[in-house]
Amino acid sequence: MDVFILLLEGIFVSFEPLNLGLLVFGCLIGLFVGAMPGLGSVNGVAILIPITFIIPPTAAIIFLAAVYYGAMYGGAISSVMLGIPGASTAVATVFDGRPLAVKGEAMTALTAAAVGSFVGGTVSVILFTLFAPPLAEVALRFNAPETFALMVMAFATFVGLGGDDVPKTIFSILIGLALSTIGLDLITGKPRLIFFNIPGFLHGINFLVLAIGIYGIGEMLWTLEETKGKVQMSKLSVNMKEVGRAFGALKKTIMAMNIGSFLGFFVGILPAAGATPASLMSYGITKQLSKNSKEFGSGVPAGVVAPECANNSASTGSMLPMLTLGIPGSPTTAILLGGMILWGLTPGPLLFTQEPEFVWGLIGSLYIANFFTLVLNIALIPAFLMVLRIPFAILAPVIFVLCVTGGYAPTQSLHDVWLMLLFGFAGYILRKLDYPVAPAVLSIVLGPLAEKALRQSLILSDGSMGIFFDMAEKPIAAIIMYIAIVLLIMPAFGPLYRKFFKKAQTT
Amino acid sequence: MSVTNKITVKRAEIAVAVILALCSIALMIKSAENRITWNAEENMGAGFLPFYLSLGMLICTVLTIIKFVLKRSPQSKDDSPFIEVEAFKYIAVTIISLIILVLAIGYLGIYFSLIFFLAFYLRYFSSKSVLFISVFSLITPVLTFLFFEWLLKIPLPQGISEPLFYPVYDFMYS
Repeated sequence: MDVFILLLEGIFVSFEPLNLGLLVFGCLIGLFVGAMPGLGSVNGVAILIPITFIIPPTAAIIFLAAVYYGAMYGGAISSVMLGIPGASTAVATVFDGRPLAVKGEAMTALTAAAVGSFVGGTVSVILFTLFAPPLAEVALRFNAPETFALMVMAFATFVGLGGDDVPKTIFSILIGLALSTIGLDLITGKPRLIFFNIPGFLHGINFLVLAIGIYGIGEMLWTLEETKGKVQMSKLSVNMKEVGRAFGALKKTIMAMNIGSFLGFFVGILPAAGATPASLMSYGITKQLSKNSKEFGSGVPAGVVAPECANNSASTGSMLPMLTLGIPGSPTTAILLGGMILWGLTPGPLLFTQEPEFVWGLIGSLYIANFFTLVLNIALIPAFLMVLRIPFAILAPVIFVLCVTGGYAPTQSLHDVWLMLLFGFAGYILRKLDYPVAPAVLSIVLGPLAEKALRQSLILSDGSMGIFFDMAEKPIAAIIMYIAIVLLIMPAFGPLYRKFFKKAQTT
Repeated sequence: MSVTNKITVKRAEIAVAVILALCSIALMIKSAENRITWNAEENMGAGFLPFYLSLGMLICTVLTIIKFVLKRSPQSKDDSPFIEVEAFKYIAVTIISLIILVLAIGYLGIYFSLIFFLAFYLRYFSSKSVLFISVFSLITPVLTFLFFEWLLKIPLPQGISEPLFYPVYDFMYS
């Protein structure tokens, strides 16, 4: 009952004129950002975070969450119309969305994507409302050792479940952590890693500099290479009368909606997973379980609904650990978490008691954003199709302008703009060589918090690392640490498992 | 054979791994300027964490190099060009123009630098008319000014062009 009242209050907060205006604006920007190939929620949120400095934190998080949400809807538009995913989260949408569009049923695909996104979003936000308060209550009992153990587990998840090259993944985590140590030491106050005695390093490296560098500059370079400055949209007939027919076709997609919504939410909670694997897994499982599995890939609405349900559900799921534990569930929520620190908030369970308007305003806004994005998405499809015709050679310099101004604004230092360029170029090259970049962004955000928790824990234990593995004194920290160790060593068993499986098959 | 064809994925992989290993060593040396030891009495030295994080980075790059030598990574067997010739043109011009943009910001100020950057970039890469490019290159910095200086009250660098903005500030704050 308490939750219901708090939720209602949150919904009222999101209906305040400033919040509602920013929510609708955020949904629109998110749809646009998601629809443009090369731009996704993480790029949109990273580039836009500097403009939230002048608005209250609640309005800021509502705006950025709406961008995040809108981008999940928008990703499907270019997947269907161009055959190019708007973001990695919409890769699976291409599999059946594009064939539907080629068959002349683009509107069916777009409607299926929008409705799927709405269902996934709604189910996940209900699950979020139910799970968040009890999880926050448990997390309130966490002290420094548990917090540090949780952060180690977040890093370990990238190694165990990320699916990327292990040394490269660990390198990415470590470089993010190393970058977060630049500046003044928390305890001794001594300057660390001040290269060439440049004073700009004394204030450390703002996570935004790395995030905008990698997801703004680096991503644009990547997309310029892929598209060579052009975006070609095939001529497809889009008939609004098809909307009704499209809704009829959705009757056969109930199973896809269930799989996408629930699987997406729980996969989204895991830090290394997020919306992309959630949508791919959801597509795969729906295909496996479907009676018409052979038709998947040739253009069936269920093949669009499953990944779209999952990516929206996962985006909400990834906010659960961010709000309750202070651990982001995706690169976008890592940036949101960094934003909370910039706005003067302390991420974690205390937010529920100290900043209820912020927390419940955000949760309430997710319900509203879900509705507005569905309506805007379907109503503005013709407008988005016009936007998709903008060549990248025009869009790219605008994004670069936003990156340069966004990189300068937080600290008003050109030093940070140079660093942002450096990270952008480095991120582009590393990404081409399959170095995952998301762990670095997560690490630079969590680095200072992890260092603080580690030092506090070691003071508590008189310098003994045993505090993290003591089942009698700190059982929660120990269990989390053991899970982290399992995750860290898991990739080593991959080849053994495959070898054993092959042997079993041949015998 | 062009330069871009000579830089294969294979060569890029090993070159980047070696550069990252050298950077990790440099970070370790830099971290050692502070105390890198840790004990119960003195707690953690200021250089302890960066030193061991850099050591970890070095180990990871060495592992990447070993995987390369043993041909266990996909990149170690990939002889295709790291970047295609046409794409290289886009990337190189973009990187150089961005560097010149940031250099110019320190001297000319952001607004005039943006005009030149946008005009050059659009002229070079798009087939738009001179009129479109001129209007676009002028409107974008104006909107940037209004957004940051008027709405957000965040001053952006103006370099030698700063006196030109005094009348605008007088008008805005009078």
